[in-house]
Amino acid sequence: MNNTTAAARTDAVLPKWNFAQFASELTEPAPLTSARKAAWKRYSELPFPTRKVEEWRYTDISTIDFELLTPAIRTEEIDEELPADVREILSQSGDRAGVVVYQDGCVVHVELDQVLADAGVILCSLAQAAENHPELLQQALFETRPSTAEEKLWTLHLAILSGGYLLHVPPGVELPAPIHTFNTLKTPGLLTSTHSLIMMEKSARAAVIEEFISEDLDEQTVSLHGASVHCKDSAGIEYVTVQQYGRGVAHFSTQHTVAHHNAKSITFNVGLGADLSRADVTSRLLGPGSDSEMLALWFGDAQQHFDHHTLQHHKAPHAHSDLLFKGALTDKASSVFRGLIQVDVGAQLTDAYQTNRNLLLSEGSHATALPNLEIEADDVRCSHGATIGQVDNTQLFYLMSRGLTQRQAERLLVFGFFDEVLGRLPMAGVRERIRGAIEEKIGL
Amino acid sequence: MSGFVTVAKLNDLPENDLKGLIVDGVAIVLINRDGVIYALEDSCSHEEFPLSAGDLVGCEITCSLHGARFDIETGVPRALPAVLPVRTFEVQVEGDDIKVNLTEAA
Amino acid sequence: MPQNETIKELGLDEYKYDFVTDDKPVFRAVPGLSEEIVRQISAHKEEPEWMLEFRLKAYEIYESKPMPEWGGDLSTLEATLDNIYFYLKPQDQMERSWDDVPQEIKDTFDKLGIPEAERKALAGVGAQYESEMVYHSLKEQWEEQGVIFDSIEDGLRNHPDLFKQYFATVIPQADNKFSALNSAVWSGGSFVYIPKGVKVEIPLQAYFRVNSERMGQFERTLIIVDEGADAHYVEGCTAPVYTTESFHSGVIEIIVKKGGNFRYTTIQNWSNNMYNLVTQRAMVHEDAKMEWLDGNLGSKLTMKYPSCYLVGEGAHGEILSIAYAGDGQHQDTGGKVVHAAPHTTSQITSKSISRGEGRASYRGLCKVYDGALDAKSNVECDALLLDETSRTDTYPYIEIDENTASIGHEATVSKVGDEQIFYLMSRGLDEAEAMAMIVRGFIEPVAKELPLEYAIELNRLIELEMEGSVG
Repeated sequence: MNNTTAAARTDAVLPKWNFAQFASELTEPAPLTSARKAAWKRYSELPFPTRKVEEWRYTDISTIDFELLTPAIRTEEIDEELPADVREILSQSGDRAGVVVYQDGCVVHVELDQVLADAGVILCSLAQAAENHPELLQQALFETRPSTAEEKLWTLHLAILSGGYLLHVPPGVELPAPIHTFNTLKTPGLLTSTHSLIMMEKSARAAVIEEFISEDLDEQTVSLHGASVHCKDSAGIEYVTVQQYGRGVAHFSTQHTVAHHNAKSITFNVGLGADLSRADVTSRLLGPGSDSEMLALWFGDAQQHFDHHTLQHHKAPHAHSDLLFKGALTDKASSVFRGLIQVDVGAQLTDAYQTNRNLLLSEGSHATALPNLEIEADDVRCSHGATIGQVDNTQLFYLMSRGLTQRQAERLLVFGFFDEVLGRLPMAGVRERIRGAIEEKIGL
Repeated sequence: MSGFVTVAKLNDLPENDLKGLIVDGVAIVLINRDGVIYALEDSCSHEEFPLSAGDLVGCEITCSLHGARFDIETGVPRALPAVLPVRTFEVQVEGDDIKVNLTEAA
Repeated sequence: MPQNETIKELGLDEYKYDFVTDDKPVFRAVPGLSEEIVRQISAHKEEPEWMLEFRLKAYEIYESKPMPEWGGDLSTLEATLDNIYFYLKPQDQMERSWDDVPQEIKDTFDKLGIPEAERKALAGVGAQYESEMVYHSLKEQWEEQGVIFDSIEDGLRNHPDLFKQYFATVIPQADNKFSALNSAVWSGGSFVYIPKGVKVEIPLQAYFRVNSERMGQFERTLIIVDEGADAHYVEGCTAPVYTTESFHSGVIEIIVKKGGNFRYTTIQNWSNNMYNLVTQRAMVHEDAKMEWLDGNLGSKLTMKYPSCYLVGEGAHGEILSIAYAGDGQHQDTGGKVVHAAPHTTSQITSKSISRGEGRASYRGLCKVYDGALDAKSNVECDALLLDETSRTDTYPYIEIDENTASIGHEATVSKVGDEQIFYLMSRGLDEAEAMAMIVRGFIEPVAKELPLEYAIELNRLIELEMEGSVG
């Protein structure tokens, strides 16, 4: 059934907008436009994934008519002033090295600490990056090869890219505070596409926290998001996303992290908002000694659906990766975790771990876990574990005996359940910001 | 919506045949077994495949996707891989009209 | 059933009874599959009309289902299927001579100390292992208890109502492409009924059933364990089974009724040209217990996931699986548990070893339906890699719709530690012995559950394998 809907939609040639016209309205360097066109061509050849595709088996997107949405057209109206609502949030979230603000998928504000700018750090919109460093965009963004299952939405993401930023940290430079970005949606019915391109040169260090925010929107709205994070030798990155969209929004995020010799990457995805939220997180360990930590937590209520796909790809020997994804669900919320540890031939002395834990708080909630391993080297230590269950009754009764209501006790235990993940984030300021967001969502 | 609604004509449902239709957003399968009409939810409890694509054998309907079988009167599964029953609906035949009560499971 | 029937009346002498009568249709084996072959099989077995219809429907389903795109590499299977014989009379099966059996298989029999008569049976060149006397006294004892242990053909012939009531209710034709194929062309296998409250102490072994077609390519087994009954069934053997055929697709259906207790042990060691695609599934009712003990040592590719459908309150399912994937082998095995009733519990334990260019994959399902209150399931997978060219995969599916369920899955992958080997060698073992000892320790939790003679054979087999693996 899903199949026929999707097939019909694929055949439709953009009833509401067509790509040629979309592309003609863009004012950007020609190579970027032709890269978009190539992506569009590929997109047009591919069918939308249906539930018959293994990677989409538990997530039905046939109800979203992507091509009936209004694509956000990139505008380049950079405002010198921080928008008031963002200023409000920032005033509560500690130090920062730089800020990027999007509205409806377009960059409206970029600022970077002058000291860092003087040290050679680049933080600019992708449009500016396309002017000044077209080859960088070509290599680091448009040449990324997504998996077959991701390719449809990835090519759409590239073709209609509405905004994005480049962070480039030169060798040896360490950012003293995080770069903070805000992706705010205001117009219902939009299709936005934003991208974060992060280039860490040798021994550079940085932390990035990205927030995705909107009110509840009364029309189907879709946010496509991509991140490409490149860590050269001995570089370090903490890349955090906090998704707090309102209802009515579907969010699709595809994140690729590459770590070279002795580089360390941490990705952390926090899922709290949207009706449907899918994250494909890939970490490639290309150099010996590289290290990848992949963290996530989500809390679903009402009929929210969270879908997480992860790949820990060990291409080099002597690398380490550790994944911890935890989710709690209530009402009729559902979640999927599908993770793969892939160890290539020759990637000896790999240490790779993967853990997924799920709490089901209500009768109507359901969770699916698919922790996979594909190991083609023998001198490895790999393990995975998955659990699905309820909060511990003994603890619950204990807290209730101390005067808490069942709901309060339960939420407190959920908070404790998440704290194991939060505790693994090095930057205290980022941790606090996430704690606040969770508290707001679960209503402690 | 309450009570019985006319969903099909008896003439359109030959003996020992079945037919899938959607009434008020509910997919149902109508079955004529030796002149007696049965109505079930048109969705296998195993993987939600429409039962109307399957076969009627005796008093059982077989899902064509994986072969699960259900009693057409009670909706109870008679063969794996289905383990849960499918909903059944009350049916009345008045003249040539087949009426089904969609408000509650029979 | 009367107690004093002769062997012949019991159908033990099925060979003469079944196939040498002149009035049977002449059956000419041709390679490949067609509706005509399906009709001939049914006619030759003098089946009731409903079974012919069942087979024809299955054939139609088989033709319409695509080849699976997951699991092992089935890209050359289609061509293989065009060339195999879908039905051979037992006489034809035995036409092969001992001289045709490859030397390496004979050597393995030697090393394992398999008796002469049994070797021929295992190699498919002679009648079954001559155990009539043992079998006869056992069978008498069982029959006194009302136990039915027949070939599947006799089950259909002699117990038509019981047979029809349960046949294909656990694994329908359309379940998957290979259950459809088996349903179309099945031949051989066992029909077992354990009456209410009966406990069968000695394992029922397909081994003992004289002249059975147990090594059939498309065997079909139906086992009904009635309320409160208790039995253990053993199929297959650890010694390598040589056959020139390259495809085996069995269907094993088991029903364990309220309070029943059943264990099914199967060890397969098909030769390395074999595609082994088997569907085995049990329906487990209230307070009943089902255990699968599944060992996969041979074949080119095995795809086999024993399943427990826990449909009654308090039902319990256990799957213990060991897989050994040597050079060129792919063992794609595992287990499935489906919790569809409250207070159901299950445990899956999987141990796999990959050696050389072998690949061992665990593929499993744990499904808990809404309403299966307090369901508990635990899955543990351990994979051992012996060489840098070996591969292991783990693909569990965990689908939970019930919030009171408690589900755990754990898997680890490791190699045999050099320190372990050095330590054992420092104690006087050579490298092969050390390796064999470590591997034995690794599979011990499963091996200790095996009947003694199987466990002993398995140990010898590991030693043989390890001799070839190092030095």
